[in-house]
Amino acid sequence: MSSTSVAERPASPRRTPIALYQPQPEVDLLRTRRLGRLLRWRWGRLAFQLPLLGLAALLVYDGLTGPQLASQNLATVITWVHYRGLVVLALLLVGNLFCMGCPFTLPRTLARRLSGRGRRWPKALRNKWLAIALLVLSLWAYEWLDLWASPVLTAWFIVAYFVAAFVLEALFAESPFCKYVCPLGTFNFVSSTVAPYQIVARDHDVCRTCAGKECVNGSAQALGCGTELFVPAMRSNLDCTLCLDCVRACPYDNVALARRPRLHEVYQDSYPRRWDVAFLFLVFAFAGVGNAFGMVPPVYALAAWLSSVLGTGNEALLLAIILGAIMVAMPVGLGLAAAWLSRRLVAGRGRGEPLRAVMARYAPAVLPLAFAVWFAHYTFHFLTGALTAVPVLQSFLLDHGIAWLGREPNWSLAALLPTDWITPLNIGVVVVGLMASLSALSRRGSRPAQMPWMVLFVLVALAAVVIFTLPMEMRGLQG
Amino acid sequence: MRLSPLPSPAATRRRSLLTLLILVLVLSSATACQRGSAQPEAADQAPDVAMTFAVSPDPPAVGWSTAVVTLADAHGQPIEAARVRLRGDMNHPGMQPVLAEAADAGGGQYAAQLGWTMAGDWFVIVTAELPDGRQAVRRFDLRVRTP
Repeated sequence: MSSTSVAERPASPRRTPIALYQPQPEVDLLRTRRLGRLLRWRWGRLAFQLPLLGLAALLVYDGLTGPQLASQNLATVITWVHYRGLVVLALLLVGNLFCMGCPFTLPRTLARRLSGRGRRWPKALRNKWLAIALLVLSLWAYEWLDLWASPVLTAWFIVAYFVAAFVLEALFAESPFCKYVCPLGTFNFVSSTVAPYQIVARDHDVCRTCAGKECVNGSAQALGCGTELFVPAMRSNLDCTLCLDCVRACPYDNVALARRPRLHEVYQDSYPRRWDVAFLFLVFAFAGVGNAFGMVPPVYALAAWLSSVLGTGNEALLLAIILGAIMVAMPVGLGLAAAWLSRRLVAGRGRGEPLRAVMARYAPAVLPLAFAVWFAHYTFHFLTGALTAVPVLQSFLLDHGIAWLGREPNWSLAALLPTDWITPLNIGVVVVGLMASLSALSRRGSRPAQMPWMVLFVLVALAAVVIFTLPMEMRGLQG
Repeated sequence: MRLSPLPSPAATRRRSLLTLLILVLVLSSATACQRGSAQPEAADQAPDVAMTFAVSPDPPAVGWSTAVVTLADAHGQPIEAARVRLRGDMNHPGMQPVLAEAADAGGGQYAAQLGWTMAGDWFVIVTAELPDGRQAVRRFDLRVRTP
């Protein structure tokens, strides 16, 4: 029997706030010796943007003045073969490097001067609906205008990006272009769930006592986050352009670019629970399939059938119907159906859960598969044509009387890998993406509620595999 | 130390607008200043020469095809002893071109073997160096099908 009396008991601990144990990031790119110093440098982002600005200027110049043959012009080769392949590789290996070095936001200072005070982005547009619409619209325009086949249109496409970023910066006080408008940014934001790095606060207690919140508000010396993310509240890579303005603005040096498990936000279910975000993920997945579908023979048969049924050869209309069905109607219809079935299959009180909550729980699990489909498609073009940049650059230099890279372009350079290897690689990538999506799905809700989504994901993966095994036909729809 | 007066907001705005206008004008005028190699047909020095292009099988499929180029002068007479080179490219960038030099088959006809590597839209640029020293350049579009 214990001899300890009540009076002798130790006093209960005082109810004062206790700092939770927060491990410091094991790997923080900002703390590496040379790279970290460059990234944190005041002009660090500019150092990445200027080379890309120079490249963009070169592409516009060659697109407007060079050979109007897609295979011999830097604008088309670099934009449609290299940019897309390198973006998905960078996302997988490091993160959203393109947004970090994005040259389109460089005229910002000029725009800010022009705008004066500017105004706030309309509240009704502070969501992803416009971004979804512009993503689909840009993919439709890509097919309709055969952008890949036209150096001059590709050049104007690049110029249009500069103008759009400039105009929005000039009209609004914040930076709405990246967060609410840019289709490239939308693609990168969604895809950066596969990235192994994320901006995090090193010590949340420091943020709790921080008065100025400079990471988001900015200071006299540095800009705050352009997409208005508050570092200690960041639970995903969504909307992070990796501009590192937060790093430079933080007076406590409390921001890390930390290594993390890939798909962290998908597994931890840490995306905002909103309709627009859930539909963005589904549209992104189906758009990947639709974009690849545009290059295989069945799309031409479908277009011909549609043309005879509707009695019109209007390419814009036919494409709008086909892509609208795949990229909008299917994700919306099938997503809602899966969410409704999920709710029906849940026993008890779960049946009364709002559809939005069900959708927001399951839709993010599609992201690994969605990225895999885009990755397979874009790396197909990159792996089959990466070396074509060499003869095109040789030809460009020779046009300008420069023979640094030889006196004759070497047109035999093209593929990085034997083309026979690429289809099995693509299928392997899609299978890995499906496995990751199913794994993420298995951590959400009950097993019966997962079933409709499992069926949906398998169907998307099957569609992608079928497309990648069909012979690729690189041509315009109506030709 | 003398500080220079800050420009007024209106002046800054005017200067920024002017910069933007200049940029747009430079870009627009660039389209009118295409380089010599902008369009291969622009290198054509012999518009009077008739050139035809035929391929067998027609339509061509992925694999080898025989291409026959026929040259005739303004009077319809076959042009012989020309040097005829062909270059096939896909409309989509990032594919290796097909390059060939045609052999003189007589009667103004020149034959070459072209190996199509992928189905889809292709175009062939035929460059013929004529015996009179001029160069005839033509573009032919074709669709290669899946075998």
